[in-house]
Amino acid sequence: MKVLIVEDEKTLAYEMVTFLQKAFYVCDLAYTFKDALEKVELNQYDFILIDLGLPDGDGLQILQKAKRNNAEAAYIILTARGNLEDRIIGLDLGADDYLAKPFYLLELQSRMQAIARRKFNIAVELLVLGEFSVDLQKRLVLHQNEQIELSKKEFDLLSYLLLHKNRVLTRMQLSEHIWGTYADDDYDSNYIDAHIKNIRKKLNVWAATDWLETVRGVGYRIRK
Amino acid sequence: MIIVLFFILLLPFLVQKIASDYTNHSLREQKRKVIDHVEKNGADYYLQGDNSYGSYTMLKEEYISLEPVADGLKVDTIKNTVRLIEKDTLNYRVLSYTFKNKNKNYLLEIGKTTASINQYNRSIQRFALYVLVALIVLTILIDLIFTRLLIRPLAKIIKTKLLNRKFPFKDQRVTTKTSTTDFKYLDESITLLMDQINEAFAKEREFTANASHELMTPISILQNKMENLLGDEQMSESVTLGIIGMMKTLDRLKKISGALLLISRIENEQFVKNDDVKVLILFNDIIEEISHRLEEKNISIGLDISDDIVLKKVNHSLLFQLFYNLINNAIKFNKQDGSILIRGLSLKNRGYEISVIDTGIGIADDQIPYIFDRFRKVNISENSGHGLGLAIVKSIAAYHNLEISIQSKVGEGTTLSVKSIQN
Repeated sequence: MKVLIVEDEKTLAYEMVTFLQKAFYVCDLAYTFKDALEKVELNQYDFILIDLGLPDGDGLQILQKAKRNNAEAAYIILTARGNLEDRIIGLDLGADDYLAKPFYLLELQSRMQAIARRKFNIAVELLVLGEFSVDLQKRLVLHQNEQIELSKKEFDLLSYLLLHKNRVLTRMQLSEHIWGTYADDDYDSNYIDAHIKNIRKKLNVWAATDWLETVRGVGYRIRK
Repeated sequence: MIIVLFFILLLPFLVQKIASDYTNHSLREQKRKVIDHVEKNGADYYLQGDNSYGSYTMLKEEYISLEPVADGLKVDTIKNTVRLIEKDTLNYRVLSYTFKNKNKNYLLEIGKTTASINQYNRSIQRFALYVLVALIVLTILIDLIFTRLLIRPLAKIIKTKLLNRKFPFKDQRVTTKTSTTDFKYLDESITLLMDQINEAFAKEREFTANASHELMTPISILQNKMENLLGDEQMSESVTLGIIGMMKTLDRLKKISGALLLISRIENEQFVKNDDVKVLILFNDIIEEISHRLEEKNISIGLDISDDIVLKKVNHSLLFQLFYNLINNAIKFNKQDGSILIRGLSLKNRGYEISVIDTGIGIADDQIPYIFDRFRKVNISENSGHGLGLAIVKSIAAYHNLEISIQSKVGEGTTLSVKSIQN
């Protein structure tokens, strides 16, 4: 998958590239409005990530103009402005998603994957987790065709860990994914632990869950 | 006023003076007439052989007497004396005058009873008093009307600039029309002061917004750098734990900036109030979102809200945030096995009141005025977060014209009520 990152903050762009390349995306960079317009005219991308706060132009205009040559691409708006209007206008102009800075790169990746599934009709086979299988589209966890009841949050948590399998996810990354960014003022919450405990309890009835690891002091990981 | 009083006190004397002057004048006038007559007719015409002539009115209020006297005597006085007339002793004001007629010296006396003089005196006094009172009343009336007319611009300044003004002063600026320089100056000064306050407030909001916004980019960079570092499998455990620690600190910074940015966005009115929110659904959503927090202290939550209440023209996500924060606090500062009741109440003035009642640790009376201040942490002993939760509540409430009231008793619990004022 080919990604264009339009971001004037070079360090930030570099971190995004580093992360996405590890996830096997091919990345292209544009630091300015002008640069971005040229690149979308010349190349075809699967994803175009646009920062709205460019010094030489409005990112929303890139979105409009890029649609001519890159009609098939998926667009994600990244902004520190966090303005609700921007979000509405952006989505109206045909953006597929919107992420307020600062966001976790994991969150960006999971949004990209969700869009890819939806937009590019990438069929997701059942994911296997030990003796369990997970259907991301129908949001089901199965044990030999037997359906296991997980709450909405529990399923979100499990699928997020599964999406980033073999990687330790911190409690902060997990709770931001599940509860979003309500200006919540709890810094060190153990609510994630409670949810993980519940997931284990529900699944352990059927089979072992040793693939779901607790990494002491850090967070959780699904190892496969 | 003192002058008027002084005048009133002086009035009897003045009137007396006028009356006596007038009496003297009329006595002299009479004297002149009598002498004219005597000159014309001769003194003998009146004396008719008697050694004196006297004439008085029936009530003896006036008398005229004429008698010859020794040649050498010369009198011309007016004074108060006592005269005996037909066995009546009366007080008279008497003009005595000697004159020559046909080589004979005569004494003429013209008298007027002082009683009759005083009679005028009193009526004049009364009349003067009436006139005076009428004048005073008139003066006061004119004064009042004039002062009112004169200070009308001041009243207008007070009405338009000072009374019922709500900060920030957003309504149209009105210049009070006046020709008085002082009022103009006052009006301009007040307008200037309000502009300065507005400007300072706008600057503060702008600063908060800019500062938090500018912080977001470096926070983004740090957060993503740390994320990439964590993804590195080569990292030793101690380094990983170090990075987690840094991420936690960064998370805190992120939340503070986020909360400040949210407050300044609300104050800058960057949210659209266009949603109709069903209160019961809103609370069910919040409780679903927050339910995992209830488990830790085994807190029960009750919802007593009728299902037909709709809040109109509001911002859904802001109201969600408002009540989320209130319920979150009710959980955070609750006791083990405590409870929370959310109760809706229709008000008489078509408004609606929602109370969040907890059985928590409560807030001391002297702390209550400060709980909505930014970064104010009342219950420091708890892990109370960044201290912006209630500041957010306050700004959302102000933006929606909601009134917040609080009742609390230490050790028993807190009730926070949000009242909508609908017209």
